[in-house]
Amino acid sequence: MTVARLAWFAGSLVVGALIILGWQWIADAKLVSPVFLPGPDRAWAALVRGFASGTLEEKLFGTVERMVYGWLLASLVGIALGAVIGISAVARAYLAPMLEFLRPLPASAIIPVAIALLGLSEGMVLAVIAFGALWPMLLATIHGFAAVEPRLYEVSRALGLSRWSVIWKIALPSALPDILSGMRLGLTIALILAVVGEMLASRDGLGLWILLAARSFRAPDLFAGVIVLGLLGFVSAMILTVVEHRLLRWRATR
Amino acid sequence: MTAVDIRPRAPVSAPSTTPLIAFDRVDLTLGGRKILEGIDLTIGQGEFVCVVGPSGCGKTTMLRLIAGLFQPSAGRVTYQGKPIAKPRQDIAIVFQDYGKALLPWRTVSGNVALALEAIGIPKAQHGDRIGGLLAKVGLAKHADKYPNQLSGGMQQRLQIARCLAQEPAVLLMDEPFGALDAMTRQGLQDEVLDIVGQSGATVFFVTHDLEEAIYLGDRVIGLLPNPGRVAESFPVGLVRPRDQLATREEPEFLRLRRVLFDFIKAAEA
Ligand SMILES: Nc1ncnc2c1ncn2[C@@H]1O[C@H](COP(=O)(O)OP(=O)(O)OP(=O)(O)O)[C@@H](O)[C@H]1O
Ligand SMILES: [Mg+2]
Repeated sequence: MTVARLAWFAGSLVVGALIILGWQWIADAKLVSPVFLPGPDRAWAALVRGFASGTLEEKLFGTVERMVYGWLLASLVGIALGAVIGISAVARAYLAPMLEFLRPLPASAIIPVAIALLGLSEGMVLAVIAFGALWPMLLATIHGFAAVEPRLYEVSRALGLSRWSVIWKIALPSALPDILSGMRLGLTIALILAVVGEMLASRDGLGLWILLAARSFRAPDLFAGVIVLGLLGFVSAMILTVVEHRLLRWRATR
Repeated sequence: MTAVDIRPRAPVSAPSTTPLIAFDRVDLTLGGRKILEGIDLTIGQGEFVCVVGPSGCGKTTMLRLIAGLFQPSAGRVTYQGKPIAKPRQDIAIVFQDYGKALLPWRTVSGNVALALEAIGIPKAQHGDRIGGLLAKVGLAKHADKYPNQLSGGMQQRLQIARCLAQEPAVLLMDEPFGALDAMTRQGLQDEVLDIVGQSGATVFFVTHDLEEAIYLGDRVIGLLPNPGRVAESFPVGLVRPRDQLATREEPEFLRLRRVLFDFIKAAEA
């Protein structure tokens, strides 16, 4: 098991190294103009410079804050609303058609609406992030609550659990795997929308940094920004994985 | 048969004690179909009643009526003389599908704790109580495991422990050992007899296994299908405590086995 995992890890390191080498080679051979494609050496230098001066750190923090707040807001609303809808068959029957209509709506489609209502403000970006990240969590939570083993509801009745206990001790933990996978999807969407929102509303963050770097032909800075964004996505997904493993420990122990 | 080493419980037959649960001309219609018709049955305090009958004759349905999970369409099902309007904490249910009846995200102790939480036992007392209950069903060493790490027999023991945590006056058991192998089954039969003997609980036990019904019961009720109705009541004249070998060799056991076998054959025909 651990040996296999080590092998995988080593393998992915090798692949990563090969890609970077290939990238360096393309840049050195000037297959693409250096104005557009800096080599990994120049991107790395820009990265180090950015962090040394504190600017990149500041942009990163701005994006993280936006992403996390929007995501938390979406989680709160999505889980609460999803629980209410999922637990009641009546609510599901009434609301499902509307949800099905709203769900495929790309979050970017509501950006103009959000701008009209909230202007090019921080609030607008947050609202767009929350709206976009809401759907996977809402739908996963509804599904999770609707799919609770009916037998467990009978057990709760036989034990005489209060309504609140049934939600807290039976339905929520039972729906948790679904909720967590919804939250994972939501986090990716939150990151994407944070970047898009920054670009559109000129809010300080990695998205804007990338946009400005591209406009002023600072390709190494642009690549540095993209690398940081990639790392951000990777690290946040890792954190969620760890949380998921802890919360769903009972599933792993077969 | 008169036995020397008689336990405090009456060994034989019918409601010799005070009636605890009573079906009074009960009909039940589900989805437009009459499932049960004219059920009349009185179960005495401390009695161990086993129910047999062909598949689909309404055994589970009767159990769910006592549990308060169904309401009769006509007639009354009473507990201590009062209609059972909804599930009660002093009536515990052991479901056949233990896999679905346990909380997979809670450990063995956590599952037992659920019952204690439901009856409002202070957290401080949980440890002792859970320890005692798990010892009683032989799961003391597995307190921190999750249900999916347990064998079927252990999972069913856990469900029984959780029911005992309710300190129920009545145990409803719906083919609780149906999915277990013969050895595990016999072990659990004796455990249940022990536990019931100690607590004096009244038991309503549904089974497909005629020998199990005789081995456990003070009385075996035979149901007939379409619509489900009580056809016969067979008092079991076997002394307690019962013994997996000796009891099963007694003439009374063999006689009942034959009678029940004939009954089921006729019922299924
Ligand atoms: N909720 C329900 N709605 C409609 N019909 C039902 C319902 N529950 C049970 N039935 C029907 O009632 C009849 C009796 O069912 P029940 O489960 O009580 O039988 P059983 O004797 O326990 O059978 P088995 O030995 O197979 O468990 C069956 O025909 C079943 O289809
Ligand atoms: Mg049944």
